[in-house]
Amino acid sequence: MPYYQTWEEFARAAEKLYLTDPMKVRVVLKYRHCDGNLCIKVTDNAVCIQYKTDQAQDVKKVEKLHGKLMRLMVSKETHSGAMETD
Amino acid sequence: MVLLENDSFLTELTRLFQKCRTSGSVVITLKKYDGRTKPVPRKGHSESFEPADNKCLFRASDGKRKISTVVSTKEVIKFQMAYSNLLRAHMDGLKKKDKKSKSKKTKATQ
Repeated sequence: MPYYQTWEEFARAAEKLYLTDPMKVRVVLKYRHCDGNLCIKVTDNAVCIQYKTDQAQDVKKVEKLHGKLMRLMVSKETHSGAMETD
Repeated sequence: MVLLENDSFLTELTRLFQKCRTSGSVVITLKKYDGRTKPVPRKGHSESFEPADNKCLFRASDGKRKISTVVSTKEVIKFQMAYSNLLRAHMDGLKKKDKKSKSKKTKATQ
């Protein structure tokens, strides 16, 4: 379960992992205020990548990555099976 | 596991962050969701179920209490803004990196 050293590598790997199988991948974020650190994990239950930080500047990056993945998850509408207007 | 509306989820998440300021961690999970409410059948009749492609599931926990919400395309913009603000406001216990530290007054080692 590799911990990445740089945010850029982690973000790239996370997005790539998500695109291989969107339904399987989940993103887990753990924040500990008392210890002052933040840990993110992206996994599809086979591959797992993690990033840990205690830097305030990374909060913005984390939150941007979350937003990006969120939008990816809700946006791919290949077939709009929900709307069935006959 | 409490399933909430987006707004209630954000309110509860704020409360979780506030509760865990002195000890404990807040865990947030994000996953794509296809809207299924029944378990996957073992075999036999395949899905009489149309997987929706535009939703994601948010879960949060402080170790004791669990909350969740489903976000779909229509709500994502609003939710994402509120969620980002929330994260940025509460995850403020981390070290601020000041390399050009103005610590001239302290530690004046001669």
